[in-house]
Amino acid sequence: MAEYSPVILKGQQTSDDEILAKTPLDEKALGGDSSVIIMELLQRFKVRDVMKRQIICVPRKATLREAQHILKENRISGLPVSENDRLYGIISVNDIINGLDGGWMDEPCEAHMSKNLVVLEAGMPLSFALRYFNNYTYGRFPVLDANRKLVGIISQRDVMRALLYELSVEIRKLERKTRPEAEGGGASETKKNFFRKEWAVVHNDLSRAGHAANSIKSLLRERKIDRSLIRRVAVAAYELEINICIHSHGGVLVLLIDDDAIRITAKDRGPGIADIEWACRDGTSTANDWIRSMGFGAGMGLSNSKRVADTFNIASEVGKYTIVECIFDIPKAAEPPQG
Amino acid sequence: MTITDVVKILDGKLIAGDATSPRVVGAVVANDLMSDVLLSDYDDILLLTSLASDQAIRTAHIVGAMGVVIHNAKPLSETMIKVADDLAIPLVSSPLSKYDACVRLHDAFLAEERA
Ligand SMILES: Nc1ncnc2c1ncn2[C@@H]1O[C@H](COP(=O)(O)OP(=O)(O)OP(=O)(O)O)[C@@H](O)[C@H]1O
Ligand SMILES: [Mg+2]
Repeated sequence: MAEYSPVILKGQQTSDDEILAKTPLDEKALGGDSSVIIMELLQRFKVRDVMKRQIICVPRKATLREAQHILKENRISGLPVSENDRLYGIISVNDIINGLDGGWMDEPCEAHMSKNLVVLEAGMPLSFALRYFNNYTYGRFPVLDANRKLVGIISQRDVMRALLYELSVEIRKLERKTRPEAEGGGASETKKNFFRKEWAVVHNDLSRAGHAANSIKSLLRERKIDRSLIRRVAVAAYELEINICIHSHGGVLVLLIDDDAIRITAKDRGPGIADIEWACRDGTSTANDWIRSMGFGAGMGLSNSKRVADTFNIASEVGKYTIVECIFDIPKAAEPPQG
Repeated sequence: MTITDVVKILDGKLIAGDATSPRVVGAVVANDLMSDVLLSDYDDILLLTSLASDQAIRTAHIVGAMGVVIHNAKPLSETMIKVADDLAIPLVSSPLSKYDACVRLHDAFLAEERA
């Protein structure tokens, strides 16, 4: 089993390695048991504890070009091709390079994805994942559950992050044991609540559109956030997601939460809005009959988003991008009730 | 008026979701334009719509609706039913027109008030 510790400690110069270098991982800091702790973590943790559950993926009909944009925007190197939790293949940067070279960027992913997939199972111990990363050259593996459903994706980075986090918890425990006076003081800084998540929104994929907004609502519900605030955030997220889907070439929806505010940002790759003032007016729309038959195109989305948000920003350049930001202030819980 | 009552009143069928849900109708919103639905401020909405698509369910989830009724017995796709199950939104299919469904729900509300 000792063969795995070098995997954690070496590797390429990624930013995770830099963090690693700054983390006091030497024998002294860990009370001389570092490898024991790591081994224990590798067994205790399962792939499902570490994998990313929010999977950025594309449907089979998405073009290689769309996949390329999504890869680029999310700075990832592999993109599962999946519908209704079923995994069909993976599009990698290599497939994109071949597409650019061969001139088939407008063909669907299903025609060019790799179908011979190496996958991990959610219930496997983390030590398995490390062995896979060692044995194959892939940077990430899709994770399936017992019913062969796609439930996550795991990269070396995810494993590193989880191990580093757990190690730092262990270290803090040890520090507390050796230096009890170090407790308290200075903790307030690190308590700052910060959360960010991003969803790719594909042009014209109306069957998935709204999915990000639904996830955002579910995520907010898990936190202690006022119900009416959640509803306002969800309305803006949904309107902006649908706008990206039906009016743009595709883009991303980003959720950012900190102690003071919830922020929804919708960014897309054009075509942009020529007259922003007109577009934001109630009832103005360029929607066609198809869009209207799908329940949209009343021309109310942007004004709805503006209405629910505490701060509303929009910027656009024709032919380039549209970016809309809705900020929702989180009321301070500590404030005494009025009257 | 729970979702089971709605099914009875509208001669409908529960296609997805929990028949035993204790939530009661707070307001009926009959609309096919999703932005209009998102604009409403009511709680515990029963959404009555002819838009038989995933988007009707997703919109209902956003506004915290207690159920969705598709009127005119419009055919429901498999994905729509799956989304309703995933988001735990009771989904009802009714053969009535939007107008008749509204009238029946209205009468049922009046009867409830009198009782
Ligand atoms: N991301 C975008 N990229 C390009 N154009 C956009 C974008 N978002 C909105 N627009 C333009 O602004 C108009 C108004 O948008 P808005 O969301 O208010 O209404 P709508 O999407 O047409 O209808 P509704 O939102 O009521 O379904 C759209 O018809 C479209 O022309
Ligand atoms: Mg819109």
